[in-house]
Amino acid sequence: MEVIVKAHMPGLVARVVVNEGDKVAKGQEVAVINCMKTELSVTSSDEGIVKNILVKEWDEMEINSPMIVIES
Amino acid sequence: MPGPARMFKTGRGNQVPAIKRVLIANRGEIVVRVMKTCRKMGIETVAVYSEPDRNLSYLKSADEAYCIGPANPIKSYLCIEAIMEAMKKSGADAVHPGYGFLSENSLFAQAVDSAGSTWVGPPPSILTAIDSKCYCRKIATGEGVPVVPGTVDIISGVEDILAFASEHGYPIVLKLDKGGGGKGIEQVKEEGQAKEAFERLSRIGRMAFGHPESYIEKLIAAPRHIEVQFLADRAGNCVCLGERECSIQRRYQKIIEESPSPVVSKTDREKLFNYTAHLVKAMGYEGAGTMEFLRSEDGSYYFMEINARLQVEHPVSEFLTGIDIVEEQFKIASGEKLDIRQEDISLNGYSIEARVYAEDPVSFCPSPGTISRLQLPEVNGKHLRIDHAIDEGGAVPPYYDPLLAKVISWGESRAEAIEYLRNALAQFQIEGVKTTIPVNILILDSLEYKAGELHTGFLERLYAGATSGEGSIKPLWPNM
Repeated sequence: MEVIVKAHMPGLVARVVVNEGDKVAKGQEVAVINCMKTELSVTSSDEGIVKNILVKEWDEMEINSPMIVIES
Repeated sequence: MPGPARMFKTGRGNQVPAIKRVLIANRGEIVVRVMKTCRKMGIETVAVYSEPDRNLSYLKSADEAYCIGPANPIKSYLCIEAIMEAMKKSGADAVHPGYGFLSENSLFAQAVDSAGSTWVGPPPSILTAIDSKCYCRKIATGEGVPVVPGTVDIISGVEDILAFASEHGYPIVLKLDKGGGGKGIEQVKEEGQAKEAFERLSRIGRMAFGHPESYIEKLIAAPRHIEVQFLADRAGNCVCLGERECSIQRRYQKIIEESPSPVVSKTDREKLFNYTAHLVKAMGYEGAGTMEFLRSEDGSYYFMEINARLQVEHPVSEFLTGIDIVEEQFKIASGEKLDIRQEDISLNGYSIEARVYAEDPVSFCPSPGTISRLQLPEVNGKHLRIDHAIDEGGAVPPYYDPLLAKVISWGESRAEAIEYLRNALAQFQIEGVKTTIPVNILILDSLEYKAGELHTGFLERLYAGATSGEGSIKPLWPNM
């Protein structure tokens, strides 16, 4: 089942901390968003394998922008 | 069409043409602030903006405005090429860099200089040198100015931390040599934290400042942050415009600043002014700047670093002295000799500034969005000043600093300044984004604040008190 990890806050993608193929646990940090100079952790809602990384550093995020696809 | 070019006298008795058109390389309230003095001096203004900032209303008051890039500050407000392009197109003959962004970037200063324009700030070579905190610490030590105890050289690795701590103990503070603005500071409370703190700091240094090097300071317990505002001209004259106390901070970002400091005596002030004058001379500094010190509980002062720019909190010093610091910056940059002497400066009354941030007042989570409703406090020019660039219906984008506005009061006494400020904050209504106005009010209402018992752990201590049920704000402790 595919789960899409979305941005919970607007801002710029500071970094993606996983690679395609990585195993992730529920609640594990997968990316960081820089919102008004504060770094906010983006976490996976499910356990699974990283299928697609849709964003890169400095991409502009809105709330609910899709970021990472997890195969859970 | 402006009148005939005004001329200034330099220290060498020559005359140089005054600045005609300045490009303000910044965004938000500081642009409005600099534009105000430009209007007063008859200087034309050029504003720059990133795409999400295109509807900021001050852009319409500038003589010209140029889009310099997308939201990402690296491609806009931090992009030297884009700004220099705007300079060329606009025919600006000077740049005021504001604070933050490229205000202390020697490459930018050099680019402006090389283009034959006036950089409103210290010369590029000075900026390059004082960019290193260790360099400044060495200069201070050479001048007999006490520095925060620690290393005056950068450390090579974790071994240096362990060696230092084995001699001086924990807790220690790791600081980036090329850091600034409260960024790049890590406390290490015990040996087990050293490696992670060092690696984290190196990463931040590389990403934020392009330099991973750090040095060590001993942690001063409950310090008070005391800084001196000064002006220095090309002829070597230096005047101090009072000290400010900026102890009330969260994660090294200032929240409340005031002048004078409730704890600085006349003798202390003379000593700090003396230290400042020596440091300015030894650094060869020109322009407006601030020397930052920490005061320990036993009353000792230690030089920490120099801020080679106009600062956010400069209004409190302007209220106290009646001096327009931006005007003095333009005059100094034009080569004009300071026409104020230290004896001419009088420090009248008390001034306090409260910063209003677009953050949740409980969790401090950033709160970007759109301002749906805005009601500013009634401004009485003698007792209140509000510096801002916000509008009802205006966007607060998620890409930049969360500072929305500065509310600054002046009173004959500290108690009066507190009252004017507190009343103004209570009248200040902003809806659509969350703000830290309630945090400011909580601070100003506290007995500790009124008693002037300030130190950099103030906010943590205040919130610890609030969890015992006294305050109406229930803080999320980990967010301090």
